[in-house]
Amino acid sequence: MTITRRNVLLGATAVAALAPIASRAQTSEVVIGVLYPLSGASAQQGVDAQKAYEAALDVINKNHEFDLPMAKGEGLSGLGGAKIRLIYADHQGDPQKGRAEAERLITQEKVCAIVGTYQSSVAVTVSQTCERYQIPFMSADNSSPSLHARGLKFFFRAAPHDEMFTKAMFDFYDALKKKGTKIETLALFHEDTIFGTDSANAQTKLANERGYKIVADIKYRSNTPSLSAEVQQLKVANADVLMPSSYTTDGILLVKTMAELGYKPNAIVAQAAGFSEKALYDAVGDKLEGVITRGSFSLDLAAKRPMVGAINALFKEKSGKDLNDNTSREFMALVVLADAVNRAKSTDGEKIRAALAATEIPGEQTIMPWKRVKFDEMGQNNDADPVLLQYIGGKFVTISPPQGVVAEAVWPMK
Amino acid sequence: MTAQTIIQSLASGLLMGLLYGLIAVGLALIFGLMDVVNFAHGEFLMIAMYATFFLFAFFAIDPLLSAPLVAAALFVFGAVVYLLIVRFAVRAKANAGMVQIFSTFGLAIVMRGLAQYFFTPDYRSVTHSWLGGKTVSIGGIFLPEPQLIGAAVAIAAFGGLYFFINRTDFGRALEATREDAGAVALVGIDKNRVFALGWGLGAALVGLAGAIMSIFFYIYPDVGASFALIAYVTVALGGFGSVFGAFAGGIIVGLVEATTALLLPPSLKAVGIYAVYLLVVFVRPRGLFGSM
Amino acid sequence: MDTDFARSRRRDLIVAFVLAAIAAVVPLFVKDVYVQNIMVLTLMWGALSQSWNILSGYCGQISLGHALYFGIGAYTTALLFTKFGVLPWFGMIGGGLISAVIAMGLGYPCFRLRGHYFVIATIVIAEIGLLLFHNWDWAGAALGIDIPVRGDSWLKFQFTRSKLPYFYFALALACVAWFVTWWLEDSKWGYWWRAVKDNPEAAESLGVVVFNSKMGAAAVSAFLVAVGGSFYAQFVSYIDPESVMGFQFSLLMALPAVLGGIGTLWGPLLGAVILIPVTELTRSFIGGSGRGVDLIVYGGLIIAISLARPQGLVGLFTPKRKEAAR
Repeated sequence: MTITRRNVLLGATAVAALAPIASRAQTSEVVIGVLYPLSGASAQQGVDAQKAYEAALDVINKNHEFDLPMAKGEGLSGLGGAKIRLIYADHQGDPQKGRAEAERLITQEKVCAIVGTYQSSVAVTVSQTCERYQIPFMSADNSSPSLHARGLKFFFRAAPHDEMFTKAMFDFYDALKKKGTKIETLALFHEDTIFGTDSANAQTKLANERGYKIVADIKYRSNTPSLSAEVQQLKVANADVLMPSSYTTDGILLVKTMAELGYKPNAIVAQAAGFSEKALYDAVGDKLEGVITRGSFSLDLAAKRPMVGAINALFKEKSGKDLNDNTSREFMALVVLADAVNRAKSTDGEKIRAALAATEIPGEQTIMPWKRVKFDEMGQNNDADPVLLQYIGGKFVTISPPQGVVAEAVWPMK
Repeated sequence: MTAQTIIQSLASGLLMGLLYGLIAVGLALIFGLMDVVNFAHGEFLMIAMYATFFLFAFFAIDPLLSAPLVAAALFVFGAVVYLLIVRFAVRAKANAGMVQIFSTFGLAIVMRGLAQYFFTPDYRSVTHSWLGGKTVSIGGIFLPEPQLIGAAVAIAAFGGLYFFINRTDFGRALEATREDAGAVALVGIDKNRVFALGWGLGAALVGLAGAIMSIFFYIYPDVGASFALIAYVTVALGGFGSVFGAFAGGIIVGLVEATTALLLPPSLKAVGIYAVYLLVVFVRPRGLFGSM
Repeated sequence: MDTDFARSRRRDLIVAFVLAAIAAVVPLFVKDVYVQNIMVLTLMWGALSQSWNILSGYCGQISLGHALYFGIGAYTTALLFTKFGVLPWFGMIGGGLISAVIAMGLGYPCFRLRGHYFVIATIVIAEIGLLLFHNWDWAGAALGIDIPVRGDSWLKFQFTRSKLPYFYFALALACVAWFVTWWLEDSKWGYWWRAVKDNPEAAESLGVVVFNSKMGAAAVSAFLVAVGGSFYAQFVSYIDPESVMGFQFSLLMALPAVLGGIGTLWGPLLGAVILIPVTELTRSFIGGSGRGVDLIVYGGLIIAISLARPQGLVGLFTPKRKEAAR
């Protein structure tokens, strides 16, 4: 059919245009693919992620005095100072497009690893593709526990997953309860996506195990035009803790609707996402004094570890925002990956995989509150301790776990 | 489930429904005039919200004050869209229906792309406004002020539109053009001018809706998508060609949505709206008040 | 029918055969997986659009809800395989049959609706389907279904790296959809549909038989689209409600036919040949900027083509003689 003839032409042009880049890539550069939603409903997260990777690239490729892998000296010393080059691709939140872009990055651009993807559904197909082509996939910011449970050889995640995050919340409740605070009932409020479902599943499981009663479990459609009915149900349930798993859009609408319907929850403990985004606090921060969110990152750390502040400044210069839960994970993902490539002294997928599996970065050499970076046989880093942050006076302070506490939690919220 | 819960749900549903009606009425007007469904209607709403946001961010104009400005800007925009795109789409010699759907659908995609290009995909909000976050409580029933104003504007807009179509010369010209575009040309009415004004008016109405919405809703390039389908269903439920139908349709959609959320898991609440639409058109294939 | 018509039909068949033969050897020369992936998608969307065209183009029942059948096909195959170990080939047939039955069940009340009432009915029915799958825990709900790939197998229709098997399946599907359309054009149904389109009064006298033929068209159309959905599930090896049943899939089925020429034999394939590569290439090569330029180009193209060639691009290729004959 005419179809394929035309395709051949288009394809041939595309390949021809790329050929010089591809051949150059193998010599003095290490090419890494970065897959994000760069258009569509989640474009904002993708564009923020680009800035985080640019910041990481700056740290790796230029000389910095941070006590962070790959910061000192220019490029990767293990590969004769080779620089990392990133190629961004847009998956628009679609698993099929994510896979197609991953294949393009691997076969045409000759990337030696891929990092991404924000949406967990896309991570499923991208990580599968990487497995098929035997190159590592670094999951930077996907928090679905089902991803590493599939036992892929080339899957790695340095950051915590939803069950770890949720455990941190319940540990915190247990500690408060011991001190005499009344926490008996919980209200779950989650969107109907993978993120919302995984989060609610983890929360339900832990609540049952530890004897908390779920008095409302509200699953809503993401980006819904109105949350009046949902908030009304939360208000009636009036649980001791409201636990939202929502992105920025629904988070803003939730907080506004709560104010409009006169619902003031006793406490809010959020599964990050929207509740770690600047846009949400710009919009409704005045109503969120005392809100608690889990996180993988805390700017408080800058007091103990000055490079955290310096790297935040580097990122802020590019994006106008502070590092948050997502962007910090993205930054670290590239650093961990670069460290592995450096030790592998090669751009061969199998060798990088072996180096990743042998990764051992002490927590002090990250910008995170983690114990260390070390992957288990599933590719999950179980020593990535999450934190709980409370929004007080326009910024976040760490209130849990005990070793990182900067201030006592204000409970109930104002 | 207490009586208070039910009353609160219905009250919220009614207010939201009036807003849905206001969003949809521009679509109904344009359709009634020339049988064209504007698939970029949600994107018209989006740019109205951005316009309100920028007037607030740069000139500190409250959304209530900027609403007429935004409506005026959208009027111009709507007329321009008609003159640059729709005019040619309705002239298509073949498949006019599909050409209209896809040229306006293409416009929707372009508008989203342009919004992302110029405004970035960041989520915006009007952070301070006279009504934002204010609410009236009557016997434990909470009525948010932005939605109350929205409802008032919706009722006023419908009233005004009704008066305009039935009592003014231009309204009669609009009506006449709708009925027989060929004949009006004979009496010296320029069809294109009438249609352009109709598109302007339709867009101005969605501009009003956008200004009110931005008091309590977030703004980003894809925000229109959440409302577009509801607007189409609202218009079809009320009956194409009927402005009053859009008004009634909006109220029904709002109430059904609120009721469904009481009975089913909230993630399924849109199913109630869709089911009611299907039920209505299976019984009355031209919608509740449709003229064709 | 006059001999001109018969001759042009014969010529269509020969052209199709030659094109299919050319298409079949192309992947032997084009080895790049990214380009092969685009070719697979092009053929698949061509086939889907061709199937959509049977109901919406020829019968004039414009459906923007065919994602429902696509999704049912994908889910039937994936669920039967992951839950009961049923090979995808059976899932494919099963999904097709289920979709055909549903299409007829929905057609019964919906065909009484006209114009935009019908279009919106198809949209909301597909949305209801999407929401139900989103909330159906047994079917994976939002988590979707991950089809385990354990090596190359024709039996399980899964291949780790090679695109060729998928390519040939998509090619076969496109050929089948084309051939069904070709055959329908000259069938009793085809004559009725044309009669109804040209002359609304004819519709009255033919009422019942036309209604039945529309039900038949809905069933055939839904069956083929569901087979496409089954194929997609195997091809991507992961499905979730949004990625197989979203509204954008309904639009994507209609777009190639509209751009190429709705209600024409060659329109959907021609539309897909242009649209799909453009979509993929703009996303890949300008989407990475994160500034929405790909959307502007893509949307602008849709406006331009639909305004400039309302009858579709196919008119540029077909000789005048044929249009006169019809």
